[in-house]
Amino acid sequence: MTDYRKALDTLRGGQVRFIVIGGVAAAAHGSAQLTNDLDVVYARSPDDVTRLAAALAPHSPYLRGVPAGLPFRFDAATIKQGLNFTLDTDFGPLDLLGEATGGGTFDALLPHTITLDLYGGPCLCVDLATLIRLKRAAGRPKDILALAELEALLALSTK
Amino acid sequence: MRYPVGVDQRDDDRDPLIEALKRDVDVTLLERNLKLTPQQRIDQLVEMQRFAAELAEAGRKSRERR
Repeated sequence: MTDYRKALDTLRGGQVRFIVIGGVAAAAHGSAQLTNDLDVVYARSPDDVTRLAAALAPHSPYLRGVPAGLPFRFDAATIKQGLNFTLDTDFGPLDLLGEATGGGTFDALLPHTITLDLYGGPCLCVDLATLIRLKRAAGRPKDILALAELEALLALSTK
Repeated sequence: MRYPVGVDQRDDDRDPLIEALKRDVDVTLLERNLKLTPQQRIDQLVEMQRFAAELAEAGRKSRERR
């Protein structure tokens, strides 16, 4: 499981621009479902990519579920050539999305975020209505289950 | 208390499967969570993860003993 404090401190400390989505965003909005990783959409300008690579470098980022020993380096070139990365790090699983299904890029999602105070600092999190849109777009069985609860939360929070 | 199906939604937004699943959403849990701060909600998630990990470990040890 992910050490959220360490993950957020790492990203914020490295001045990485990111938005929390997925199960942790759902929990922050009040979901009672369990999740075990951290999903973020990251900004992909050249400076952002350089900062992301530098921030994660001390934390042994490696592709999750891939045999050890492959010549994988999570550096700026790798990030530029790829888009979405499911990583294991020394603070746990971290899913880095250059583009989220149904939500697009960091810049596209930015107007649909709220700023939360998490572990002593600000953290951009996708708003509940947009999280529902992302879950609908993803459409996996676990997303369908989550949607029922998120829509209930939306109804409660807009009462 | 269970979630009243279809509340606050337009008809064209509704997915029959999701509407059916809403019947099993425990709104009391959500209402309790909404009284917490976002940080408290994340702390609660971490506690759930720890508990789930302990259960998984206990199950693994139990299987090994058999």
